[in-house]
Amino acid sequence: MKKVWAMLLVISLLAVPMMALAADDVLNVYNWGEYIDKQVITNFEKEYKVRVNYDVYDSNETMYTKLMSGASYDVIIPSDYMIERLIREKKLQALDHSIIDNLDNLAEGVRGYQQYDPDNTYSVPYLWQTVGIVYDTTKIDPADMEAQGWNAFLNPDYKGHVYMYDSERDAFMVALKALGYSANTDKAEELNAAYNWLREMDKAVRPSYVTDEVIDAMAAGEKWMALVYSGDAAYILSENEDMGYCTPSQGTNVAVDAMVIPANASNPELANKFIKYILDYENSLMISEEVGYASANAQVLEELSGEGGDYEGNDAYVPRDGYELDEIYHDIPEDLRSQYSSMWIKVKLHE
Amino acid sequence: MKSFFRMTYPYILWIGLFIVAPMIMILLYALTKDGGNRTLIFQFTFDNFSRFFSDPTFMRVLWTSLRIAFLTTVFCILIGYPAALFIANLSERAQTMMVLLLTLPMWINMLLKTYAWRGILMNFDLESEVKVFIGMVYDFLPYMIIQIHTSIAKLDRNLTIAAYDLGANKWKTFLKVTLPLSVPGIISGITLVFLPAVSSFVIPKLLGGGDYVLIGNLIETFFITTGDWNFGSAISLIMALIIIASMWLTKKIDRNAQED
Repeated sequence: MKKVWAMLLVISLLAVPMMALAADDVLNVYNWGEYIDKQVITNFEKEYKVRVNYDVYDSNETMYTKLMSGASYDVIIPSDYMIERLIREKKLQALDHSIIDNLDNLAEGVRGYQQYDPDNTYSVPYLWQTVGIVYDTTKIDPADMEAQGWNAFLNPDYKGHVYMYDSERDAFMVALKALGYSANTDKAEELNAAYNWLREMDKAVRPSYVTDEVIDAMAAGEKWMALVYSGDAAYILSENEDMGYCTPSQGTNVAVDAMVIPANASNPELANKFIKYILDYENSLMISEEVGYASANAQVLEELSGEGGDYEGNDAYVPRDGYELDEIYHDIPEDLRSQYSSMWIKVKLHE
Repeated sequence: MKSFFRMTYPYILWIGLFIVAPMIMILLYALTKDGGNRTLIFQFTFDNFSRFFSDPTFMRVLWTSLRIAFLTTVFCILIGYPAALFIANLSERAQTMMVLLLTLPMWINMLLKTYAWRGILMNFDLESEVKVFIGMVYDFLPYMIIQIHTSIAKLDRNLTIAAYDLGANKWKTFLKVTLPLSVPGIISGITLVFLPAVSSFVIPKLLGGGDYVLIGNLIETFFITTGDWNFGSAISLIMALIIIASMWLTKKIDRNAQED
């Protein structure tokens, strides 16, 4: 019996600190891994006298699955197409623009890509990027690279020296763009053409299919070219001066990650304050400096890429904007996603 | 006796909640297609299964998984049996020490060990399958050794002594006495190695790279990346059936061996 009492005592002791921090003192944030300067969180906690629970995910789909299973977060930072889906499924709540009064800070460029939520009713951009090619300028001539664009992935001269990002949506985007189609197509014949393009790529250059390890590998100059996100490219370029970045003229994907408040958030007021806080100049600056992705804050973008900035002369930092052939991803239906997966597995298995 | 049964209630509840209920959900997902907007409209279909079996790519993935799991198991027996025999012949204290040494790496998370292997194997230009194979044998070998060691250590010494008395040499004694009597250990070793190997997805993912896909990776892709839970569940169910079939088979072999 003594043991039972001891047990109860332990449990109640554990419960005290939890109750002391009542619901309005806690903010649950869910973000991509390695996608923030932790100091910003600490500063926010100090300034607002609250505690932030910070969780991370590695894909929009993981985040979505967790949200659907009933997890409650106050702020999450998904990508454009996922926000589109969440809005359609009524999983988000409208932001309070009287709290987030600094929307003017947003860069013109990123504003142009907010088709999923043009008036920032549900979302405020956090960081944005393009998809492009990082290549070794001592191995591939920059003029050659620009001329080939995505078709460099079909060039047998580069066989064995290519990294392909293991992401079916991005891989298909490359193929669709190379063929002159939209990255959001649902036409069977265009998808099939893209599938055949990717199979040809697999045969022609035998790429290594990689994920995040591509960042260190390219910084070390392991291969000649790789498909990368511009934010990672900015890091690679700053580590290795032989590396160049190409945003192909056939058009690419522009991705915007934006802060949203789920419908089931337990602390929406604090969530709105957090979003305003992040969009402030100093905090946006710290975050973009730390992770290398382009800030949604106009002033930060200008400063970091301008004279004396961290990313001065770095071609990958500022995403190309206003280019007609560039597009954001739209949410695609499940049966189409399933087709993508099957085809991508076949490409990787050399079939 | 009655009160003893009552003590199993929590366990039965546990099984029901965390094993039976999820299995039923997987079965439901596998046999239906999305009713749109994730509502509870069941449209029964076998499409998910026919999609798997009619696609040569998926069949090849299944074949690769079975092949590497089989090879891993065979190698674990080939390396593990002599090791277990060696340990069983040591003094009592040395045996305890050796078993402790064997189990020591098992205290480390498998993910960490696999990452370490990735660092080591990165420097060698090996086929993806060879890398995955090395990682799997490394991870699962201790289970095999411990199972075989337990069954050999349990053997009555008098049996081998009797065999010597009756004129059998060392080799013959091993073949006629030790080996047959340690079959139950091998069988449970096989169960402990083959089943996790055939369903492994972390090892192929970390050591094999993007172009090495096993059935566990297929399930992960269709659940996480694609969000096609129906097809993912169908693949999971197919794998569950393979596992049940192989357990039944090993049980049967075990029973036959004991009757001999």
